[in-house]
Amino acid sequence: MGKSWLRVYIIKRLIYAVIIALGILTITFVLVRVGPSSPADKYLANLAAKGQDIAQVTAAIEARYGLDKPIWQQYIDYIGNLLRGNLGWSFSTSMPVIDLIKTHWIYSFQLILLSSIFAAVLGILIGIYSAVKQYTKTDYVFTFLSFIGVSIPSFWLGVMLILVFSVKLGIFKSYYDTALPLFSLENLKALVLPVMTLGTGMLAGYVRYTRSSMLDNLRKGFITTARAKGLPERTVIGKHAFRNALLPLVTIIMFDLGSIVFGGAYLTEIVFGIPGLGQVSFNAIFAHDYPVVMSITLIGTFMVLFINMATDIAYTYLDPRIRYD
Amino acid sequence: MRKARLFVALSLILAALFTSIACGGTQPPKPAGKQGGIFINGQAGGDAETLNWILAADASSSGYASHTVDSLATFNNKLELQLRCLAKDVEISQDGLVYTVTIRDDLKWSNGSQVTAEDYVYTLGNLMFSDWMNYPYKSMWQEEVAGNKVFVTPQVVNATTFTITRQTANPDFVYSIYDLQPYPKYIATKYEGDVKTFTEAPEFNNLTYTGNLGPYRFKEWNRNDKYVVERNPDYYLGRPIGAPYFDQYVIKLFGSSATMQAALEAGDITHCGIEPEKVNKFMGLKNIDVYTVPTTGYTLLAYNQRANGWEGLKKQAIRQALSMSINKETVSQSILLGFGQPAFSFLSPNSPLYDDKSVVKYGVGPLYDKEKAAEILYQEGYGVKQENGTIKATNKDGGLLQLVLVTDQASQASQDIALQVRKELLALGIETRVKLVPWPTLLDQYVRNKVPGSVKEAGYNNGHDAVSAESWDMMLIGLTGGLLSPTSAEVVFTTEGGMNYFGYSNPEVDELFRRLKTKEALDKNMRQQLSSKLSLLLSQDQPFDFVVFQKANQGFQKNVVGIEPGISMWYNYYLWRFE
Amino acid sequence: MTKRTRIPGKEISKPVYINTRLVNYYWQRTSRNKLAVFGLVFILFLILLALIGPSFTADPTLVDFDEKNMPPVGFTNIKSAYHIDTNEFTTTEIRGTGKHPLGTDGKGRDMLSMLVSGAMVSLQVGLIATGIALIIGTILGVLSAYAGGWVDNILMRFTDIMMTFPFFLLLVLIVFIFGPSLAFIVLAIGLTGWTGTARLVRSEALSLRTREFVTAAKALGATDKRVIFHHLIPNVMSLIIVIATMSIPGVILAEAALSFIGLGDPTVPSWGIILEAGQHSLDTAWWIAVEPGIMLFLTVLAFNFLGDGLRDAFDPRSSV
Repeated sequence: MGKSWLRVYIIKRLIYAVIIALGILTITFVLVRVGPSSPADKYLANLAAKGQDIAQVTAAIEARYGLDKPIWQQYIDYIGNLLRGNLGWSFSTSMPVIDLIKTHWIYSFQLILLSSIFAAVLGILIGIYSAVKQYTKTDYVFTFLSFIGVSIPSFWLGVMLILVFSVKLGIFKSYYDTALPLFSLENLKALVLPVMTLGTGMLAGYVRYTRSSMLDNLRKGFITTARAKGLPERTVIGKHAFRNALLPLVTIIMFDLGSIVFGGAYLTEIVFGIPGLGQVSFNAIFAHDYPVVMSITLIGTFMVLFINMATDIAYTYLDPRIRYD
Repeated sequence: MRKARLFVALSLILAALFTSIACGGTQPPKPAGKQGGIFINGQAGGDAETLNWILAADASSSGYASHTVDSLATFNNKLELQLRCLAKDVEISQDGLVYTVTIRDDLKWSNGSQVTAEDYVYTLGNLMFSDWMNYPYKSMWQEEVAGNKVFVTPQVVNATTFTITRQTANPDFVYSIYDLQPYPKYIATKYEGDVKTFTEAPEFNNLTYTGNLGPYRFKEWNRNDKYVVERNPDYYLGRPIGAPYFDQYVIKLFGSSATMQAALEAGDITHCGIEPEKVNKFMGLKNIDVYTVPTTGYTLLAYNQRANGWEGLKKQAIRQALSMSINKETVSQSILLGFGQPAFSFLSPNSPLYDDKSVVKYGVGPLYDKEKAAEILYQEGYGVKQENGTIKATNKDGGLLQLVLVTDQASQASQDIALQVRKELLALGIETRVKLVPWPTLLDQYVRNKVPGSVKEAGYNNGHDAVSAESWDMMLIGLTGGLLSPTSAEVVFTTEGGMNYFGYSNPEVDELFRRLKTKEALDKNMRQQLSSKLSLLLSQDQPFDFVVFQKANQGFQKNVVGIEPGISMWYNYYLWRFE
Repeated sequence: MTKRTRIPGKEISKPVYINTRLVNYYWQRTSRNKLAVFGLVFILFLILLALIGPSFTADPTLVDFDEKNMPPVGFTNIKSAYHIDTNEFTTTEIRGTGKHPLGTDGKGRDMLSMLVSGAMVSLQVGLIATGIALIIGTILGVLSAYAGGWVDNILMRFTDIMMTFPFFLLLVLIVFIFGPSLAFIVLAIGLTGWTGTARLVRSEALSLRTREFVTAAKALGATDKRVIFHHLIPNVMSLIIVIATMSIPGVILAEAALSFIGLGDPTVPSWGIILEAGQHSLDTAWWIAVEPGIMLFLTVLAFNFLGDGLRDAFDPRSSV
């Protein structure tokens, strides 16, 4: 094995991932459970108006959800269950957390996957084009547009797209219909506006990174050498310059993926009524449904850590000089 | 979002009785339309929490489940009793203590066994009244005997008859009985005693037991997205006539009312509520019918009469003066765009007990009078005469009078009305600081109160000396008005009432509520007399300003037939169909 | 101030803010970038607007239901009223007037006044939250780099945890649990947004630590505190200025996004809050959502332009 150090590295990273995940779980648990309000709150006024004894109802609801035990006991119980693979029971939706995630992940996944593809493909192409044609009119136009793209608030863009394409023109439905079969043209059509909403900011970012990273590389010696050798321009740009520009780009795309689930994707889900994981987790926050909040945070965390690790490993293949010892 | 709306707040309005689904009782018309189609009911706001409804404290949960299980009885738009699982009306003994309930004999659980009186008595005695279950609405089935809260006594007579026995008379108790729904004893016994396994029981969470008890059967519930029930061909009320006619009934959730209404306009959904601003637009659409119907919800402006409110509010005259300077017609015309009705009493104008003559109409006509209001404030020592002869309201020592008005940040109507109140009071010289706070904060910091220094936990009414953590003077909040049972407002207005967080106390009011819960009120005329007296007394005393009763606008695709618009329009929804 | 240690021949050790020649140089480099200049001008305009605008515009909280949903000048809108007695609608066409040049919202509040007071909110959020994040990030970064060893290790692991935490989720958690007041939102954004700064400052400080002027200062007997505050921090200033300008847009957007999902401070009309309210009446009063969106967009764009220009100016490799 040429890369035996890699195995050691992966094991080290996994241990590190567990520590980080534990840290994040603890912070989340403390935040969700120590706050001043209780999951029973939202009923209390209703119940009081019907003449119920509030203290007794609060106690009953908390007992039913296991919230009456001491906080540290709840924490240990939760972590214990987690280690046994039991994510718990979501009391705000009345189903096992694992089933909840199973039914909702696909909506987030398709949105994020399509947006990433849309943004990465278009972004890289435009970025390369812009770099090659530096200081031409098209370059200026693209650069300017990319500034607009990164500055536009995604949720506002979504609202504007609905205003124009759904309200005024009536081309698209203004909400996402979950009844559509997953692999169908209708589903793809239903995702056009959400993908544009989520993808525009990413796209503009990729254009800018690709452009500057390509420019950096185009200035370097080996490009001049390649050109001097008389290689066709297409090969010079595609094989030499782009290959080297790819590395930082991969990092950025991967890093985006982690943060997007709970940022842009959530806002997009809200605007278009897509019942994805973002919505599930935020509704759970509002319902104090901590088993759900914890599980989804955990999934998000592992995704980020896994992506980081995968990127690091991918580096070693893209650039054999890199070693992590 | 949801939001926002996410954080949708829950006003006190819980018209469970009237929003929950029920079905028709009178001889149904022959169906003119065909069977089939999917009825999609759009809703903006939160999802239900559970289909295991006996555990639920939220209104949506019981609403979802009631598509599959009928209650004993319901009411139509004229508030006439419609029998459901009941075979005949509940019989009440002469002394008002024994209720005899006779159910239909053709009710079946999913395993084919008959639904019997035993199931009802089990649901009451072993589930709702049990310690391990902690049924959230248990106090509806309790009465006070010698200072203790005790449960009523249910008892099986035969397969279709059971009795419920009280020790004290209460004419309004029968409404709790009408709402009763059963749990299947043959399944529930498996989980009895353990709230955790009961909570997670698959039969209850998937409503697999409902047999022929409701017009629909559970099909699918995709959280935060949609709840789907399908036609129940065995439905006991529907079978003879082929009802219900829709293949599926779907509750579709939307993140905002804007997208929901766009979906109605586009024909993607069959029905949703419509905001006042958009009613005109929807009335102009060819494919939509809009029905304006009354609701039991009203908005009120509570005056804080506890120690941490402005001391003037403890005086009846001052409360009257403030109510006199807030125009209710403006509120219902400008803010609700006409879809409101000035409120003068806790009784809804649609209630058979409401008497328009026995209320004092503050805030409209001659009793909307800022000059008179200023004069009253001046006489009470809260005003100064200015050079031009007008009176400016002040605090006791002649300085600027500042009041704090607090309301729920998520309720658009409350915010609008709060700003309007501020504007009206500013004309008197009173400066109002409007505080918009999230619902949990509102409850925690402004509603709940405790005696300073005491170890007793804060409650909604901890007696005369209790105060809330934050001080406030006025609070806009929604409440459900009395329709059939006047004593439902008892918790709000009596000195000891569990919802009397604003510190109102009037022995006369307490006495009238007490009398309404005695045997003498079993007599219809007496009941009417007592209610009117109470209504007049409260509208005079102004413990809070009853501001406005809201009207709702319900939009439907035109091809839905069989709808009877009214305060309880869903009562016959199993007969609705597409043309 | 006067007791600054001078290291001969090491002009670079002077921080940017007192080195006028350097400032001039950077300004020239930045000002060659037209977009950056536009950004700067717009930001200055915004600050001016936020500071003195409110004294020229109407009270943004003034409600007038008779003038609700007035369109901006040059547009029209249909106003309807329902009459309960006759069960009839009357509709009138209303035109935008000079009294409300940008129209009014659903409560009849003047859009122009609200946008002006919203500018103050966005700037406050952007500047204060970024300030908090920068202070925390810089201190932790420098401390980590300077102390090294286990301090560095612990601080950086903590930074890793905070960095892996989905930022927006954390923000929503904190704001939901502790209540949405503007002060708290600002604090929460500041307290969660420092990780990137800490990382960058740490690596910059690591490289500075070994530079001659620091070792010289140490040799001259400067205390740790002095080295950190008089040598390390001033010299990462240019980096910090760039980070600040580049992260302000994100912070402003974070506040707007919080408002958009209903976690904004309802007592303060921020652009996000207006936008959220406007979203519900897109088909009847589009300008309520469009106008604050444009303001947000322009502000973020301006900071992005400026940040980009500053970064290029401070970057010795680029030749603008």
